[in-house]
Amino acid sequence: MEQSASKEALLQKFAPQIEKTSFLASIWIIFLLCIIGVGVYAFICQVTQGHIVTGMRDNVVWGIYIVNFIFFMGMSYAGAIISGALHLFRTEWRKPIIRMAEYLAIISLLIGPGYILLCIGRLDRLYYLALFGRIQSPITWDVIAISTDIFGCLIFLYLSILRDIANLRDFKELKVPQWRKKLYSFLSLGYTGTPEQEKRLRRATDIMAAMVIAIAIIVYSVLAWIFSVTLQPGWHSTIFGPYFVIAAVYSGTGVLILTMYVFRKAYHLEHFVTRKHFVAMGVVMVVLAALFGYFTFSDYLTKWYGSEKNDESLIKILFSQYYWSFIFSNYIGVLVPLLVVGIPKLRTIPNITFSALIVVVALWFNRYLIVIPTLESPYLPIQDSRPEYLLYSGTWVEYALMAAGVALFCLLFTLASKFVPVINVSEMSDAPRDQREEGLFNTEESLL
Amino acid sequence: MKTIKSPIFIILLTVLLTNITILDAQEKKDTVTSIVPTISFSYLNLSNDSIVLTANLFVKKDQGVFAIQNAVIEFIAKGGNESKKIGQAITDDEGNAIIKVYAKTGLPLDKEGKSIFTAKFSTKGKYLSASESISAKQAKLSVNFSKVDSVRYILVTATQVDSKGMIKPIGKIPVTINVPRLFTPLKIGEITLEEDGTGKFEYPGNIVGDSVGNIIVIAKIEENDLFGNVQGQSSISWGIPKQYYLAEMPTRELWTPIAPLWMIVTLITMLTGVWAHYIYAIIQLVFIKRSSRPKKL
Repeated sequence: MEQSASKEALLQKFAPQIEKTSFLASIWIIFLLCIIGVGVYAFICQVTQGHIVTGMRDNVVWGIYIVNFIFFMGMSYAGAIISGALHLFRTEWRKPIIRMAEYLAIISLLIGPGYILLCIGRLDRLYYLALFGRIQSPITWDVIAISTDIFGCLIFLYLSILRDIANLRDFKELKVPQWRKKLYSFLSLGYTGTPEQEKRLRRATDIMAAMVIAIAIIVYSVLAWIFSVTLQPGWHSTIFGPYFVIAAVYSGTGVLILTMYVFRKAYHLEHFVTRKHFVAMGVVMVVLAALFGYFTFSDYLTKWYGSEKNDESLIKILFSQYYWSFIFSNYIGVLVPLLVVGIPKLRTIPNITFSALIVVVALWFNRYLIVIPTLESPYLPIQDSRPEYLLYSGTWVEYALMAAGVALFCLLFTLASKFVPVINVSEMSDAPRDQREEGLFNTEESLL
Repeated sequence: MKTIKSPIFIILLTVLLTNITILDAQEKKDTVTSIVPTISFSYLNLSNDSIVLTANLFVKKDQGVFAIQNAVIEFIAKGGNESKKIGQAITDDEGNAIIKVYAKTGLPLDKEGKSIFTAKFSTKGKYLSASESISAKQAKLSVNFSKVDSVRYILVTATQVDSKGMIKPIGKIPVTINVPRLFTPLKIGEITLEEDGTGKFEYPGNIVGDSVGNIIVIAKIEENDLFGNVQGQSSISWGIPKQYYLAEMPTRELWTPIAPLWMIVTLITMLTGVWAHYIYAIIQLVFIKRSSRPKKL
């Protein structure tokens, strides 16, 4: 395949990231591996000593693991929805950031389900789920949905990076080991950019972009239904499906902005990822903040006004025992992006990134407040009234495994960016042709 | 555009740090060194001349009431000048220490025929000592049944033992009539006994028994100043046999053999639709691979 001049320049710009690992990057990777190592030790403790080393007991049977599961799955669906939508809408500003959204989708999706495995005991019986799984169970729906989603996201990611893999294969100046060159050659499927290949690739990518959006919505709704089909106070809500989807995309948008900021600084992408991209993602975040606030208010208002005994007791707990967490997750987490992006003078890259950080932390607490306080206020009186049975408190094992999950997320992102450029080189280099593409939803970039 | 270093971020950071501090504070352990426990003590005299003594050991905290497990409780009976240790028990998970003593074993009695029972917990570790007493006179309730002209009666007789060991009737005392149910006994009536210690209650006739109609009738003297709690019971087949109904349309219960049809159809349709698109995308990749091969002349 002939390399166009701009493509050549872009590949030369990104080649050092792929060829070499700087001293700082090495330190960063070792640091992440150390955290993962602590997580592995915590996991060994949990397997050898049992779940007694966690804060979970007979009453509060779900803890930080489930919170992290929801959080990572939310980020994944956000990545899928954002990358799918950006692709289908053919928005011009998507090009430098769409790859990060795609990585976000698949990396989170690989880590999230791991927390389910940490949460359940007797992993040696895991295959029973396949042998004796019941379609009536929402847990089975979730297993089917997540595994389907993993396949979908992998195919979508592969289609998205195929052209860049072919570019790397054909880039003669790339100094990488022979095995990597062979790997690029194998994975590129002989793609040379002929009209027929391009047509087929675009068709498949469009189809998969639409599919990952649909699957993300369905899968995260299924996750919400695991909670809402029960009669537990705080969970039994008809709007939990859309509420979860909105919360997922909201938190994922925050993580994507943080990712953009980190890669912009780490790989000096100031010319590619500009203030315009941060503002565009900030506007998306504001719209989602408003929707998230609306759903949250609607959910709690109906529960409070209904005055059902257990709902009332739950709201009382949220406004007393979890007061600051509740205020932070549902008020500050909504108002900060509204103010920062809403007021033009505040729309700077650091401010938008900081508000994204607030959103991410707030949404983690939001998931914590969905899971834990409900389990601490059951319908039936607690038979065994030991304090650790009444109230949940995470242990070092759980926090270590949480940190390990975050570290693994960062590590996989780092490694992925060293395999294929974190900026979509192909799309960046052929903008004029791309504008002529017949997408499903062609729009003008001036919208944002 | 100018960058504004707004104080809002400092405020937000403070809020965030405050939140973390509060969460951290929640995890700190209670630093109280000595704790004063409380004993809740109950007495129950059964119809087989046995007495059940239950002591519940617990501590009160801001968060609620917490039971103390594995504590040794001593039970002492006293009558007149005589005092006798009648047993000891270890508290269970709910803080309950229970013993059963038989009146025939010779409990010490005072002039009125009463005994004072004491449950005592001795200081152990951070827990201080605690004790609670209750005084009661031995009594007995017996339940019998009779049928007069198709009307069914529950007959209750109450007797007491005086200091000389003589049996005397207990008159003019309220007695409740109960039948056991899933969690607690269901009260079906209340009578006041005659001077001769007997009373009768017309059986309601609409009580559900077991599968063959057996019911247990329990007569109770509750929280009486002189006798404490006294209970007697007897069974008879006057109940309505219990009917077990099968659910008409089992749908999502754990024991249903198969999922509802609509669920299976929806799942298969959705999975087929999704995987068909996956396969389509993979086929496109296969064609891309094939098109890269040089064509044969």
